[in-house]
Amino acid sequence: MKSGSKRMMAAVAAVAAMSMALAGCGSSGGSGDGKSGDSKSGGKVELTYLHRLPDKQGMTMVKDTVARWNKDHPNIQVKATKFNGSPGDLIKKLETDVKAGNAPDLAQVGYAELPEVYTKGIVEDVTSEVGKYSKDFAEGPTKLMSVDGKAFGLPQDTGPMVYYYNKTEFDKLGIKVPTTAEEFVESARKAAAQGKYIMTYQPDGAGMAFSALSGASSPWYKIKDGKWVVNVDTPGSEATADFYQRLLDAKAMNLTPSTDPSYAGAFHDGSIIGSIDAAWNAPIMMDWIGDAGKGQWRVAQIGDWFKNGKKTGPNGGSGVAAIKGTKHKAEAMEFLDWFNTQVPDLTSQGLIVAATTEKAKTPQSWTEFFGGQDVMSEFATANDNMGTFTYMPGFSAVSSAVGEAADKAGKGQGKVADAFDEAQKTSLATLKDYGLPIAKD
Amino acid sequence: MSRQATSEAGPRKRRGSEIARRNERTGWAFMLPFCILFAVVFIIPIAYAVYMSFFQQVASGGGAYGGGEMINRFVGLENFRYVVTSGAFWSGIGRVLLYTIIQVPVMIIAALALAMLLDSFIIKHVTPYRLGYFLPYAIPGAIAAIIWVFLYNDQFSPIVKGLAAIGVHVNFFAPNALIVSMANITTWTFTGYNMLIFLAALQAIPRDLYEAARIDGANGFQIAIRIKLPNVRGAALLAMLLSIIGSIQLFNEPQVMQTVDKGISNSYTPMMMALNTSRGILTPKGDGPASAIAIVMALIAGVLAALYAYIEGKVNES
Repeated sequence: MKSGSKRMMAAVAAVAAMSMALAGCGSSGGSGDGKSGDSKSGGKVELTYLHRLPDKQGMTMVKDTVARWNKDHPNIQVKATKFNGSPGDLIKKLETDVKAGNAPDLAQVGYAELPEVYTKGIVEDVTSEVGKYSKDFAEGPTKLMSVDGKAFGLPQDTGPMVYYYNKTEFDKLGIKVPTTAEEFVESARKAAAQGKYIMTYQPDGAGMAFSALSGASSPWYKIKDGKWVVNVDTPGSEATADFYQRLLDAKAMNLTPSTDPSYAGAFHDGSIIGSIDAAWNAPIMMDWIGDAGKGQWRVAQIGDWFKNGKKTGPNGGSGVAAIKGTKHKAEAMEFLDWFNTQVPDLTSQGLIVAATTEKAKTPQSWTEFFGGQDVMSEFATANDNMGTFTYMPGFSAVSSAVGEAADKAGKGQGKVADAFDEAQKTSLATLKDYGLPIAKD
Repeated sequence: MSRQATSEAGPRKRRGSEIARRNERTGWAFMLPFCILFAVVFIIPIAYAVYMSFFQQVASGGGAYGGGEMINRFVGLENFRYVVTSGAFWSGIGRVLLYTIIQVPVMIIAALALAMLLDSFIIKHVTPYRLGYFLPYAIPGAIAAIIWVFLYNDQFSPIVKGLAAIGVHVNFFAPNALIVSMANITTWTFTGYNMLIFLAALQAIPRDLYEAARIDGANGFQIAIRIKLPNVRGAALLAMLLSIIGSIQLFNEPQVMQTVDKGISNSYTPMMMALNTSRGILTPKGDGPASAIAIVMALIAGVLAALYAYIEGKVNES
């Protein structure tokens, strides 16, 4: 009897083990916050817009901006919802929502993600609707909202890489913003000897940063006769790997991942006095540093450290795309053109806007923080210097593989160059997995 | 009931079966909410996962970008072939097994020791202790992991700083310390829970057994070893099984710790591998391969649980 019940219990437990493991796997359904856009009553159109803007205290809230639109446009009513999760999770959510038929009309999509969501069939072709609005936006970002000759929405912000540095500390050390890689390593050594770091190593963001910096001179991905040509092994990649490797070997970089709470701490206590980051990182950094370094920091253009000449690359930046199944493309684009040109509102969210309808004013607090520098025009220059980088569908897989290899290099278990080898390998494997054609060379 | 009905005369018999039928209906009506929920949140998702595991998502429209269309292509057992030949998957299984071997015994022994203490005559007021030990279990796993990430951080942690003050420098994120750091979080969370299982089993032991033992001259320690321990074997089996199943599915701790340490790869445990495959940041991507990972893992967990129960049974027999 006793052993019988025990056997029974074991059987139950075995089944329970299997089911528990399996139940975790089903794809999570849409939470239903995005109603499909076919709710039309008496000529009134209702649109849903899923964003992931910061919406923090002191910013002009997205819902307030949208409320202004709704007041003036009784026939096109928009409901904006914030997505609280990582950009990667947003793609997964949209993917399931489109399948379930309850996707929003509009959603925020990163430039690096657009090819992927297009291939996955998540976005709607709005080429004929956006044509008349393209004059309101910079050319580069507008192009990034197009894939395969079709436009899917309008650009919102850009993320050119710039160099942030603490001028006061630089002056104390007797160094300037380096102009060559050689000089950079030299200055970094000098600073590190005093316990200061003029550069950060961020494995978690390496996928985006390495591709942007090395891609500034020549891109990794090209399309030839409708087939992909993957070539990560470029002079730019070699220079980028070499730059980081030399700084690692010299122990002249801060190695804390940027998602670690200590990273913000190192900015605050002044041990980090320089870092390459995207333009949108400015308000985040200001938050970390606080009053401690107020008035001491400056923004500079990326130097010729990666065989990039004067060019820089994109890290992040996104637009808003029409989502598959939307019934009101024209109205959606009309709203979007208005929303993405609300420059003061978007600037308050910390965005470097893609709109060219008015010049973005540098917020007062930014000017104070950056010692009176006109930061926005510095970012605008970076924007103009941005090389075009074509992302491949499935770049998120490449990005994560690069990040893992970069982490190993940071811990001395590999070389930075391995991250680029990994990028080449993963790019090819991912394209193959997506069933996309690869050119034979 | 039915035996009674057969011995009765005709009319009563019919009425009896009517009652039986009504009872049956009532029974099913009571079962219905459970059955519906069980089907919706359990059977259907599992069936769907099994179905999906035979497919892969590939671009169908042609051109460099696949024309913006993807189809589910039937690939037979290809996804399973990928999983069982994947080095990353088996490394993940290796990690969770190592983690299980380290974590489960430590936790079970600690839980048993605490339960024995609470059940002994040493402690007068049991409730505050019982509640205190159980409290960590009330904190959701992900939150617990976030708290511990801060406690492991080299700049903020009172633990790291305290140890450094007495000359011990620890790095909880060192590659060979990671598993132990994770095991510590789980142990902290679940020891109290398992203690409750043991405590319930201990308190179900008839008190006169202790009295008899005392008359026979046994001391407190002997009672604990000779009477209490053998009587909680069943509870121990249950606790071990649940713990092994839980450990194989290790997810919260590495997933949260990954945010501050990229050294924890996207396929660190099979569960993380399944999630990241489904999110498309691992290649091959998609729900097909992800489902296959989950199914293979479920089979392994099932086999392990059955194996453990079998060995336990053999040990008990001898």
